[in-house]
Amino acid sequence: MSEKPISSRKYTYIHDEDDTGFQSIDSHHIMVPKSRSRQFLLYSSFLVLMAHVCSLLLGKEEWRIVFPWNSLTFVILAAALHLRSIEKESVLIMPTFGVQLETHYRSGRICRRFIPISKILKPVLNECVTPTTCYWSLVLILRGDKELTLVFQELQPPLEMLVSVWKALCTAVDGDTTTDCGMEVDFRASIL
Amino acid sequence: MEQWQQTLMKIAMAVQRRHRVLMVSDFFYPNFGGVENHLYYLSQCLLELGHKVVVMTHAYGTRTGVRYMTGGLKVYYVPWKPFLMQNTLPTIYGTFPIVRTILIREKISVVHGHQAFSTLCHEALMHARIMGYKVVFTDHSLYGFADVGSIHMNKVLQFTLSDVNQAICVSHTSKENTVLRSGLPPEKVFMIPNAVDAAMFKPAETRLSREEIVIVVISRLVYRKGADLLVEVIPEVCRLYPNVRFIIGGDGPKRVRLEEMREKNSLQDRVEMLGAVPHVQVRSVLIRGHIFLNSSLTEAFCIAILEAACCGLLTVSTRVGGVPEVLPEDIIVLAEPVPNDMVQAIGKAIRLLPKIDPQVMHDRMKSLYSWHDVARRTELVYDCALSCSDENLLVRLSRYFACGVWAGKLFCLVMTLDYLLWHLLELWQPSKDIEEVPDIASESLHEEMPWSVETEAI
Repeated sequence: MSEKPISSRKYTYIHDEDDTGFQSIDSHHIMVPKSRSRQFLLYSSFLVLMAHVCSLLLGKEEWRIVFPWNSLTFVILAAALHLRSIEKESVLIMPTFGVQLETHYRSGRICRRFIPISKILKPVLNECVTPTTCYWSLVLILRGDKELTLVFQELQPPLEMLVSVWKALCTAVDGDTTTDCGMEVDFRASIL
Repeated sequence: MEQWQQTLMKIAMAVQRRHRVLMVSDFFYPNFGGVENHLYYLSQCLLELGHKVVVMTHAYGTRTGVRYMTGGLKVYYVPWKPFLMQNTLPTIYGTFPIVRTILIREKISVVHGHQAFSTLCHEALMHARIMGYKVVFTDHSLYGFADVGSIHMNKVLQFTLSDVNQAICVSHTSKENTVLRSGLPPEKVFMIPNAVDAAMFKPAETRLSREEIVIVVISRLVYRKGADLLVEVIPEVCRLYPNVRFIIGGDGPKRVRLEEMREKNSLQDRVEMLGAVPHVQVRSVLIRGHIFLNSSLTEAFCIAILEAACCGLLTVSTRVGGVPEVLPEDIIVLAEPVPNDMVQAIGKAIRLLPKIDPQVMHDRMKSLYSWHDVARRTELVYDCALSCSDENLLVRLSRYFACGVWAGKLFCLVMTLDYLLWHLLELWQPSKDIEEVPDIASESLHEEMPWSVETEAI
């Protein structure tokens, strides 16, 4: 069964509970819709390259030297954009077993990381401050690990989506099904 | 209704309002000092009055990000590294994105900057004014007018204070100094003195015997604090009064001179040098003495003599800056910053000692100065600031234009660019995309104390 998805301007949140099989798996997905602006950027840079090539051919400049470098740069940029383009990030919670963090790229590549439930000390909502901005992130404090582990490595979903995932993680870690924090969230300061 | 009646009504309504204050300064914990203590105590008392306070400062070493201090005081340690004397690198527009983000997500109503020497304060106040927030500025120090550094500093201050809603100074002398340096109309400047934490500075349980008079000096040993005067005064006093001993706490470039004086006059057993004294140990050093000696060459307020008086010490000080305004005349002996005058003042203080009762002095200081009083008065300043009318950009630019022939045009250009940058930021990161922070219920924080669990230990 799944709950009604929550949508924001950039992300869509889907919560699935799969009760079939040996164990119930609680999945939380943050989807990134295909960005029109990204495609526009890709095609417009391709057009610019084509125009440059044409001007070189007509102007009879040293296109033999310039053309390969330009096209190489374009290919590298396009490949980087495509490979790093994220389709969705998922959190699969298997109670009493562990948590699996997944990042699905549009190229088909999937990055997975499994964390056993006993290793998680606490899931925490953290405010990250950078020189230009401040945003919420969901992190896991792991036993024996000095660094915090980001649940969503690449994406920065809004707070209401993070709170749903955080509550589910708290329930799984504490083993307490009656955890209900409402919005009096437990803000923990960064330990860094 | 008349203008003044409307203003009064607005003030009355503002009085019932809860403020959400952003304190900005380069000087905050984990550093210790006058400005840092002022910020902390004022924030705590404002929190107790029911307002929300957020502090913004730069990162200290690895201490970056959001920290919570006692009472739910939220501190943003923004990862801009300090570059000179604890000040953030002045980039004029560099801090705009983070300041805007903090102002929107914390739903701030008034921005309060501290200390004219703080670059982060000036930048944050400028950005806050461009965005239309109400702004208050507190000046903690006196500055000169003559040297090159002071001239530039004063011009920067003039720029910031051209458009500030209200200003606060810590003494009448400081108010005069600020008004002259910045050209701010005096009606906009409030005088709210600093205070002292009387619970921390209590006199000794047993009174010291007066067979040997102990004079305590605790200050940074730098030129500004009159360390050179001490070098002249101490040998003379030791010669005139054989039963007097000195305890000197503090460190600095002039320490070498004091050590030399000690050696030259063979005063090793009569002058004790303690080195740097951490703030928590200041009281334990003060209660070892009968008299507190302050030889500063310039002071806007001088909290040190207030702390000494709270511990029951009789004060001898130079008559500079705002010092005469701090203590009642019967518990302070003032002198000109000249060695002979200071020696005579110390003699007078020694003769006055039998009449001093430390506990009576402490109770008197407790009733005269309290941080709660400072917070209540600051609250009134915030109410006044919020009742100021909103002005459009052109009216404000005309005030900047009046700052000088070249400076006026430069300031107008800076503010116009800032205004354009603001709209660019609105396009890049619209304010509706910046999530507002939910308020932590302060009752839940108080219930879950002990302090070691929920709050950040310094």
